[in-house]
This record gives sequence, structure tokens and C-alpha cells, in this order.
Amino acid sequence: MHKNIETHILSLIPRRAKVLDLGSGDGSLLAKLAENNIEGHGIEIDSKRVIASLCKGVSVTHKDIDKGLLDFQDLGFDFVVMANSIQCLRRPHEALTNIFGIANECAVTIPNFGFWKIRMKLLKGSMPVSKSLPAKWYETKNIHLCTIQDFEKLCLENEITIKKRIYLNENFKPLNRVLISKANLFAAEAIYHLEKK
Amino acid sequence: MKIEQFSFEYKNNFSLLNGSSIEGFELVYETYGELNAKKNNAVLVCHAFSGSHHAAGVDEINNKPGWWHEFIGPGKALDTDKYFVVSPNNLGSCYGSTGPLTHNKETGKPYGPNFPALDVYDWVASQDLLRISLGIEAWEMVLGGSLGGMQALEWSISFPSKIKKAGIIAATALVTSQNIALNQVAREIIRKDAAFENGDYLLSEKKPKDGLKVARMLGHITYLSETNFKNRFGRRLQDINNKIDETINFEVENYLRYQGEKFSEYFDANSYILLTKVMDSYNPAARFDNSIVEALKNCSAKLLIISFDDDWLFPSQYSKELHLSALKAGVQSSFLELTGNNGHDSFLFPTEEYVSAIKNFLNHA
Repeated sequence: MHKNIETHILSLIPRRAKVLDLGSGDGSLLAKLAENNIEGHGIEIDSKRVIASLCKGVSVTHKDIDKGLLDFQDLGFDFVVMANSIQCLRRPHEALTNIFGIANECAVTIPNFGFWKIRMKLLKGSMPVSKSLPAKWYETKNIHLCTIQDFEKLCLENEITIKKRIYLNENFKPLNRVLISKANLFAAEAIYHLEKK
Repeated sequence: MKIEQFSFEYKNNFSLLNGSSIEGFELVYETYGELNAKKNNAVLVCHAFSGSHHAAGVDEINNKPGWWHEFIGPGKALDTDKYFVVSPNNLGSCYGSTGPLTHNKETGKPYGPNFPALDVYDWVASQDLLRISLGIEAWEMVLGGSLGGMQALEWSISFPSKIKKAGIIAATALVTSQNIALNQVAREIIRKDAAFENGDYLLSEKKPKDGLKVARMLGHITYLSETNFKNRFGRRLQDINNKIDETINFEVENYLRYQGEKFSEYFDANSYILLTKVMDSYNPAARFDNSIVEALKNCSAKLLIISFDDDWLFPSQYSKELHLSALKAGVQSSFLELTGNNGHDSFLFPTEEYVSAIKNFLNHA
């Protein structure tokens, strides 16, 4: 995960929150949380990444998010992070709604498939490869990509409140003010702070 | 690697969880590597049901590598260049520690079937006395597979300040009724051996070897997986020259008979019954209003819980449940389900992922 994304996510997490990181990868975000004295736990599907996480002194559950999150409902988590993972799930909409059975707040990041460079590549007839989406179509774990417009519509349909949006350009810097209203075209990444009332 | 064998003698009365007691005991143990000056590099390895204190190195007499030989040594998962590994033989076993073969000072006869019932807690309490005798403030890690994993769990519940990390591998906090059923069949097979004589065979010349043999054959089936049997033996026929006897057709039959035979030479029937009972009755939650979460609230160690996907004796699901209970209790616990190739026995065989997981956790958690 790019360190700018990490920093933005960190800024959304309240002090003393107990955090569940869905798709925790090699545990780098969890390690960052620990550095900031935030208690965290990860869920990761890939055994190799779980083992790598153990090198960072963080705790992780080896588990497939698509198999359900009910187990994690009453474990006292206050905040859920799902960074760059939702597009890898078989049932992303279910995971998104189930998050709010675990905690009231979450941070979700998505690569924006509506980004103009991606649209250009599609226009030229090829599946896009970019900084946010580095894998070739036959190697990618991303099976449910969406645009900023799609994701925000899903939140609306599920009565999930978007407390904050952070749009980033392809260099992971905040989008120029002028372009924010056209984020679906100009943002490469989006970070959301979500809440369910 | 420096390998040494010792015996720890505890001379006072030792109270057991069930209220009875024994007049002192002896624990034989092996150590690998060296205890540093600060005495903070000690790792305790706990053996499974029929295991012994011989966990690593090659036994000079029998030329036999220890049961976790591939895991303990320089550069291995438990790196003896860094850590001092202690491996005791449990009370009630038959490899030299106090058990049914030991003479009862009160009667002048071997304990035999009258050795008091033990709990995993008693093992851990005796290991704690060994810890004190070695001058170790706290174990850097306690770990083991199967019944050994239950000891690691018990350590983290009952002696939380004496352990920093625990590795609970292919284990559970409560065996299933199916486990108990299988153990019961094994015990009955032993008891039905005419030479068993209600456990008093030590007073005669005979040994219930046939019973032990068949019990082990049954046990051995449960330790492996269907795939493992298929890959190792398939339906291959046993070649005529190596048949144990004429009734045998398949390689797998010969193999089981051989394993049973070998086991019956060295294992003690009363220990078999006693130790399977320890496994069946283990229930740490019972001391905490039947709540494993309450029990784990005592735990301050970091846990690494590992299961194997082809283990049908102690299925993964129970390890997952234990892990979730630990999280609920606020314990820092990690859970990893590895691909097994040897069923329940997978905990004995090194794979790259398995070794790295233990190594990473021990060195960095």
C-alpha cells in the first residue's frame, strides 16, 4: 500500500480505537497502527502473507472474507479498514454491509475504474494496467472493479453515510480542488470514511 | 548443537488438580543449545500423547532422531544458536519420568493401574517446578502439537506471567466425543488382552502386547488422512518376501502391523490408558464457569494457533474457535491454517510455511 494512502487511513482512525484490517496483506498497515499505539488485528486469505505478518509482530487471522464475517461481530472492534481489498471479493456488497455488524465506522479504499487514463486504455481496446491496477487481466486478483460513481451509489443504496471522501491522483496526491467535482474522471484512487446510522 | 539429558527430582508432596497427590516425582528432560546469562532465551517444547523428551538430535543407542528433529537445531525453526530448548517427558508417561512404571514408595510395588489420574494442568505445574529449578524467569515460548499444544494452552491460562508466547499446534481446548470414542475403543482393546490382568501385568512375566499393538494400529489410522494413505500405499500388494504373515495382502496392512508391533515393544499399556484419559478429560474452561473466554482472560502471552486442513482428528474448526475465543478475551492471537500432507500428524513434518511461521513468531512477536 502506498504510504500516502496509509497516512490518510491513519488520519481517519479515532484514538484508542480497536481496528480490524480486512485484507491485511503483509501486515504493514497493522505495524503502522502499532507504531501509533493503536490496537489492530488483521484478516488475510493468503497464508504466505499471514506468515510475513508474523515478522512484524502483528496478529492476524488466516481467513477468507467471502466466507463471512459473523465470527468477528462481537469481538469489540471500533473501526474496520478495507484497503484495496473490496474489488478482490466475490461478494463485495455483502462484505461492505457486514462491516457494520463489526464496527460503526470504516475506511474503504478503491482503485477508480472510471479514471480517464483507464477509460482511454479501454477505448483503445485493452484492459488497463496502471499504478493502481498493476496486474495483467489474466493475473489480477481484482474481480469486482468499480468506479467512484458506482461505489458511492452502492453506499447510498445500503444507507451507508459517506463521512469523508479523499480522492487521489495517480501519484497518490490529493486531487486538485478544481477537479474534485469530476473525481470519477480524474481520481485514480478514492479513500472513504463510512458510517452506518 | 549442545544436547544434554537430565533428570529433575522434586522431593516434596505434589498436589494434583483432582485433589490427590504424589510423594515427589522425577521428570527426565533433554536440552538443546545453551541458556544465556540473562536466562531469557528458554523455549519449552511439549510432547504429544506417545512422545518423549527426545525431541531433537539423534539418539546414540537407537540411532533415532527426535520427534521434532527437523524443527530444533542451528538455523532451524527453534534456532539453538539463539535459544535454549527444554523438552521434558511428562508425568504418567513411560520414558523415565514418574508414571505407572515407577515404584510407589508406599506400597513398594509399581504404580501400574493405580497411578493417579492426571490433568494437563498437572503436567504444566510439574514443568513449572522444572522451570524454577533452572532459574528461568519466564519461557520465551512454550509450544507443542496435539496434546503438546494443549499444554502450551494450559501454560498461557495457568502460568501467564511465566510465558511470553505460546504455539498451539493441531490442538484444541476440548476434544470431541468422536475423539473420546476412538480412545475408548483403544483402551478397551488393551483391557481385553488377557495379559493385561486389570493393569497388574507388571507383577507377572507377561505384557499386554497384543492389545497395545491393535490400539496403536487404530490410533495410527486416526493420525493420518485418507489422501495420505492413498499416496503412501494406494492398493499396492505387499511383496511376499516382506510379509509379516500369510494373512496380509496389502502394503497398508503390513505397515500398520509393523507400526503396532514396534510400538508394543516400548510403550506401556497403563500409560496408554492414563494418557488418553488426560486427553479426553482436558477441559480448562471447567475451572472458569465453563467459559474458555473467561479462562483466556488470564492469558497475557501472544498466541500462534496453527491447524492443518487435512487433520480430521482435531479439525481446523476447533482451532479457529479457540482463536476466536482468545480474541474475544482480548488476547493477541494469530491463526494460520496450513496445508497438511499427513493428517493430524502434519504437525510433525516440516514444510517451508510451517517452519517460517514458527520462526517468525518466535523471533518477532
